Amino acid sequence: MGSNLATNLPANLSNSPGGAFRGDLSGVNLLRVIGLSKQYVRGGLWKKRVQVAAVTSAHFEIARGQTLALVGVSGSGKSTVARCVARIESPDAGQILVQGTDIARLSSRELLPFRSGIQMVFQDAVMSMNPCFSALEAIEEPLRIQRKAIGNRQERRDRVGRMIIEVGLSPDWMDRPISNFSGGQRQRLALARALALRPRLLVLDEALTGLDVSTQAQIANLLLDLQAAHQLTYLLISHDLALVARMANVIGVMAGGRIVETGPAEQIVSNPMHAATKQLLASAKTTAAKFAAITGAPS
Amino acid sequence: MARDHLIRVSDLSVTYCADEGMPIRAVDGISLEISPQEIVGILGESGCGKSTLAGALLRLLPPGAKSEGGILFRGLELMNLPEAELRALRGREIALIPQDPALSLNPVITAGVLIGEVLRAHLPLSAAERRQRVKELLCEVGFDRPEEIYSAYPHQLSGGQRQRIAIAQAMACRPGLLVADEPTGKLDATLQSEIIELLSKIRQQHGTAILIISHDPAILAGFSDRIAVMYAGRIVEVGSSAEIFGRPLHPYTQALMRIASSMITSAGVISRFPAIAGESPDPGCIAEGCRFEPRCSERMDVCSQRYPQTFLPEPSRLVNCFKYGE
Repeated sequence: MGSNLATNLPANLSNSPGGAFRGDLSGVNLLRVIGLSKQYVRGGLWKKRVQVAAVTSAHFEIARGQTLALVGVSGSGKSTVARCVARIESPDAGQILVQGTDIARLSSRELLPFRSGIQMVFQDAVMSMNPCFSALEAIEEPLRIQRKAIGNRQERRDRVGRMIIEVGLSPDWMDRPISNFSGGQRQRLALARALALRPRLLVLDEALTGLDVSTQAQIANLLLDLQAAHQLTYLLISHDLALVARMANVIGVMAGGRIVETGPAEQIVSNPMHAATKQLLASAKTTAAKFAAITGAPS
Repeated sequence: MARDHLIRVSDLSVTYCADEGMPIRAVDGISLEISPQEIVGILGESGCGKSTLAGALLRLLPPGAKSEGGILFRGLELMNLPEAELRALRGREIALIPQDPALSLNPVITAGVLIGEVLRAHLPLSAAERRQRVKELLCEVGFDRPEEIYSAYPHQLSGGQRQRIAIAQAMACRPGLLVADEPTGKLDATLQSEIIELLSKIRQQHGTAILIISHDPAILAGFSDRIAVMYAGRIVEVGSSAEIFGRPLHPYTQALMRIASSMITSAGVISRFPAIAGESPDPGCIAEGCRFEPRCSERMDVCSQRYPQTFLPEPSRLVNCFKYGE
């Protein structure tokens, strides 16, 4: 199964299953994914049903407090990996070890205690929150589901108020409906909601995509600050290699449902091995070169 | 002078009158000219009114939007043109490439017919001629096998392919002006550059002028000839692409360029990206002074008192900032 994995590592680091990179060897791996596979069925009704492999035998590990970015073109399977890790999708095969416990095959009832440890943020913050909710209700919903919305009304408001401040919004806006917030503000609320349960792992599925560059920079900075403050571990999904390369410790490149190359971010950028990585990098470099040429800055 | 321009927008304002609350002035006194064959980029963040501007140029605004000012296109004043004449003009003389082709393409009609519809609306061609023409257009936007694409439904195509179909629709009647509203907004990085290359090629081959709207300076770099930077409903700076990128004058443009440059450099782990603190003002309550003032690192006393007039620090450069005069 390791035959499709082009590793980009010194020999002493490439000894994990399938040649996947181990993240920081000294740290404890918060998440370890082994042989994750997922197929979808396409067709049905009038068309013949066909099994489509979205992810095939994916391996990776993330050390506590670190960021692993999965990058690839649309349709390469990165979102499926994210959805399996957050267990809003059940993998067909493989293990998802969260601090040693395999959550790949747990039932939704058994998953409940693990859910507070892993939270997901989606690309479209508008679609991912109930538009009729106020900011307070949206942030409190996960607490309520986990039966952690304890205390009297004022205590609960104070708790949500602190979360809202933490993501850089004003607690005065707590009772405003979600629909009154701008795109960037909604992504901040989505982060506050994800952080409400004090998770250890955040799965960020294109959480920076579709935002303005200035908002992107703000949210990226917020993610970096929150990571430092809470020792958060990130699984960052993106099609934009240039952006995540600067935020990630480790990069995994996906193509055709497989992780084709994994390695420390600097190494992937400076010495790409697989054709898919080279292609992603080439398009990033072309943009950077055009930009540098016109601004007169060094590329 | 006016004869040199393909389109000339003067003092254009668009106000949305909501049922409740204050009317919102999304576009506020914008003047802009586009010459034949020129590519002009509108750079600004979401909510700054750039899509409203695109809609206003085609006179395609939702009911409840009131526009004032002048839009002179090839000597025709579009603002007082009757709807029938506007319909003859749209798609034929000025065409729109929408932001999200997944939403703008009718899902139950095949790609070939969708492009053919534009031809049928404007040109007296026979069915066979139309079919032939559609295939040529499909080749032109980069499809190797036009036959297959002709009979494909939008949902069978990828995002990039759908955007090419939208471009083929827009180019069907060889319009003089293309208005591209974030044409790469929903695509991944590799596809983005392909679409931009295609638009470049179209301008080269057909001399089509393009107004491209984007929030991302990197998209406009090396593509547009001139750039107008918009902030909170107004244009704050206009200049050639080389000037805007090489030597931005307005503090907002300068900050935007710093951010963009940090985001496209892939090397080196970063602990913070340069960013502009705060958010753009709520269009419902705009203060009197410069609209960027609350976020500006170089603000002066005068900035909050009145809106800076347009200064011309250099020929062909316009900037609305008190740094360049009082």
